[in-house]
Amino acid sequence: MNIPVLSVMTWAPLVAAVVVMFFARHRPLLVRWASLAGATVSLVASVWVYWAYDRAAAGFQFQEEIAVVPSLGISYLVAVDGMSALMCLLTSIIIFAGVFASWTVKERSQEFYALLLVLVTGVYGVFVSLDLFIFFLFYEIAVLPMYLLIGIWGSSGEVRPQGIFGWAMGRTGVGTKEYAAMKLTLYLLFGSAFILVGILALYVANGSQSFSFLVLEQVQFDPTLQSWTFLAFYIGFGILAGIWPLHTWSPDGHASAPTAVSMLHAGVLMKLGAYGVVRVGMALLPDAAVDWAWLVGTIACINIVYGALSAMAQTDLKYVIAYSSVSHMGVVMLGAATLTPTGLNGSVFQMFAHGIMTGLFFALVGLVYEKAHSREIFKMGGFATMMPGIATAFTIGGLSSLGLPATAGFVAEFLTFLGAWSSAYQWWLFPAVIGAFLTSIYVLRVAKQIFWGPKSEDPHFQHLPDAVGTEWAALGILVFVLVVFGVMPSLAIAPVDTATVPLVERLTGR
Amino acid sequence: MRGTAYELLRLLLPEVTLVGLAILVLVAGLISRPSTGAQGQRPIAGWMTFVGLLAIFGLTFFIREGSLFGATFVLDGLAMFAKRLFLAAAALSVLGSLTNPQYPFARRATEYHFALLVSLLGMLVLASARELILLFVAFELMSIPLFLLTGFLKKDAVAPEAALKFFLVGTASSAIIVYGLSFIYGVMGGTMVESIPRALASGHPLMMLGMALLLAGLGFKIAAFPFHMWAPDTYEAASTPFVAWLSVAPKAAGFIALIRLYIEGVGPEALVWMPVVSVLAGMTIVTGNLMAIPQQNVKRLLAYSGVAHIGYMLVGFAALSSSGVAMMLFYLVAYMFGNMGAFFVVEAVARSEQSDGIDAYRGLAQRSPLLALAMLIFLLSLGGIPFVAGFWAKLYVFLAAVESGLYGLVFLGAVLTVVALYYYLLVARSMYIDAPTRRESVPVPGLLGAAIAICALGVVGMGVYPGPWVDVAIRAASSLF
Repeated sequence: MNIPVLSVMTWAPLVAAVVVMFFARHRPLLVRWASLAGATVSLVASVWVYWAYDRAAAGFQFQEEIAVVPSLGISYLVAVDGMSALMCLLTSIIIFAGVFASWTVKERSQEFYALLLVLVTGVYGVFVSLDLFIFFLFYEIAVLPMYLLIGIWGSSGEVRPQGIFGWAMGRTGVGTKEYAAMKLTLYLLFGSAFILVGILALYVANGSQSFSFLVLEQVQFDPTLQSWTFLAFYIGFGILAGIWPLHTWSPDGHASAPTAVSMLHAGVLMKLGAYGVVRVGMALLPDAAVDWAWLVGTIACINIVYGALSAMAQTDLKYVIAYSSVSHMGVVMLGAATLTPTGLNGSVFQMFAHGIMTGLFFALVGLVYEKAHSREIFKMGGFATMMPGIATAFTIGGLSSLGLPATAGFVAEFLTFLGAWSSAYQWWLFPAVIGAFLTSIYVLRVAKQIFWGPKSEDPHFQHLPDAVGTEWAALGILVFVLVVFGVMPSLAIAPVDTATVPLVERLTGR
Repeated sequence: MRGTAYELLRLLLPEVTLVGLAILVLVAGLISRPSTGAQGQRPIAGWMTFVGLLAIFGLTFFIREGSLFGATFVLDGLAMFAKRLFLAAAALSVLGSLTNPQYPFARRATEYHFALLVSLLGMLVLASARELILLFVAFELMSIPLFLLTGFLKKDAVAPEAALKFFLVGTASSAIIVYGLSFIYGVMGGTMVESIPRALASGHPLMMLGMALLLAGLGFKIAAFPFHMWAPDTYEAASTPFVAWLSVAPKAAGFIALIRLYIEGVGPEALVWMPVVSVLAGMTIVTGNLMAIPQQNVKRLLAYSGVAHIGYMLVGFAALSSSGVAMMLFYLVAYMFGNMGAFFVVEAVARSEQSDGIDAYRGLAQRSPLLALAMLIFLLSLGGIPFVAGFWAKLYVFLAAVESGLYGLVFLGAVLTVVALYYYLLVARSMYIDAPTRRESVPVPGLLGAAIAICALGVVGMGVYPGPWVDVAIRAASSLF
């Protein structure tokens, strides 16, 4: 047990990024293998952590601590509980699949992989660090590379708004990758300004010169301070989690980003937001969390329905997936707002399930685009005969998305709905169920139109290949995980339970 | 303190050496003046100045604390800190301008460096001044050469205009300062800074008026809102390595004066200034950041962003606490490296592209990756991103302000850093995302490259390991309370 396994997991991608940057100039294959090696080390470490996590003992395990700035009480303090262990596992799976999914990136692939790996180090860091300051540093690392990743390697959308909207959007450059990159970065940094103020407020108020989560957890903060810092954290992290009406960066950003970045961003980074609300907002400020639950839950309901309705209206395939993320993140936030163990389990499970399935979706959209060079849903048609593998994977992902039993999506939504029903606001259940219903409409519509419907007459879409080689690896991993966790939900529920039950006790047993 | 010649010399060592250096540069320039071929003379004056400044910077580590002339001239932690900052900034600026190919620099290098050294002398004296008249004289000694240096490219159409604007604003602000000082003198009946707290405690309305006028006058000098108008025009017209210095050292001098007059030894009475300075800081941050957005010229953009940075330093000042001052000093150092570095990159690009526009940076990352990386680091530092100096600077300033309960101001500042990142990212976008219009790399003269490298090292060093710098800043500020 002397290996600092969490540090290995967190920093391996960064080491790989350094290798890629300094030793792999003009050697594209080495770039990919080095990235894959970094991702594999992290995957192995996170699986091991997940496996070896002692569920009976619960609490935070694998703790490491190094003082960084002793005079300010900043230390590199990392540890995982059941919830963050699952999130690390999710991150590992997505980046592992993401490396395969971006195997075909041609332009400046060295910088692409390096930035992607740096970003992943930031994500791991957020999930494992218990020092709020280091947490914030990692959070910034996870956000910033996105600007370049979308700006350089992204794709401009095929959105052509009409009339007055066309004029207005033409002025601002809506739909271009530059616009999306700037919008995403500014929204998320705007959020981090809220988070920073909240963290500083807690630091000054706790009186013991410490940023440590373990110390702050013991402090009973003044109700007024709790109330506004909770709001600051909710808005700050909520922006990243895509809460309505601050979600508009997410469809633009995800639609413009290159495949692996969309996978990582929608699959993992949005979870950072939800994770932050639960870990920092709710666990440190229990009174405020209870007081503001109505707001969090109500906005989550709006997210679910609004996101689903918006997804129905899209004609661009990538925007459909992006809006479905907004809808599904609503489920995550709703589960958290129920303040019941079932609801919170559903919330965390949905983070995982949505992460995998949205990763799968974006990988598939990337493949379809690469082969058909189109994202326009109503131009494509009948692809299932030409690419059966991709069609099957899309359908499995879609069924999970609409919550079919035996997929991970079902478990997550079911638990969340149960939690909503047993919470203080039972009416939350109705918008949530309506959202699930709307999801089935847009998912099945897209699947039918593109894959299973009549074949398109367009000469461009007559001879399209199915997935090949490394592309299978990305799809296979994600589909496998989606089904395994759907059939055996206890794989995730058991460790998550050790984190959520004490949290709910803290929240409600005051 | 015995006023022996030895003691005198020991305490005044940097100033005395600097006077000697200035005269030496002047004489050397006179002797070596070539009749034709301007190239011959430039390096001598420049190199002498650079080496001399480094030597004086070294000397500051051999002087010890004390005071002279009945405590009108003190050498405390703050004075030492400020002197080293001024000297380091000046040395960097001279290093950056050593290879300046512009004709006036080659032709009149002696004058340029002499004026710069004299201005620097004013700053060094200012850092130690604890008496109002000495303070004012030092301020003028610092300011007047700056007017000359701004208009140094006199054949350039905009330089005289910028110099005139700077001169008019500068003298007007000096007049306001003197006017304010006259009230203060009237109420205090003396000119020693240390008697300000007592006079302030008496609550005499004229005293408050005098201090308010003084604040306005100093606001001009540091280019705080609403006295910031001169900065962009001046920066745009003057030579870039000089602007790099102008944007840092005189501002730092203004802050030292503010600290001496409004905080040092004043105690809880200082809290009367908190609302005023908070509003000033908030307005300065908002104005600087918003005005920077539409700028297409990087020098003007950096000028407005500089105004915003002054606002952030004023946040530390508004905290009116020991940690606030310390964090402001830390911010000054971070700002020095980040801002000067950015200006040096502007200089390198301008020499090759003949333009200061953002368009000149298109595809720089593919043409000169290292130069683009350096610029990115400086911009991120100015924007306050982790692992570069600016992040810690903003964080510490905010922390000090939160400790003083200024949540609103911190919130405003934090939100506006996002606005700042927008326009910094516009430059980054031009460098990294846009395709280059030309393929060949941007030539960077060795010495300018060295100056950029030093700044980059400073920014990254402070960002990765801020501890020692913070300790230095805290020590410098501790003597005030």
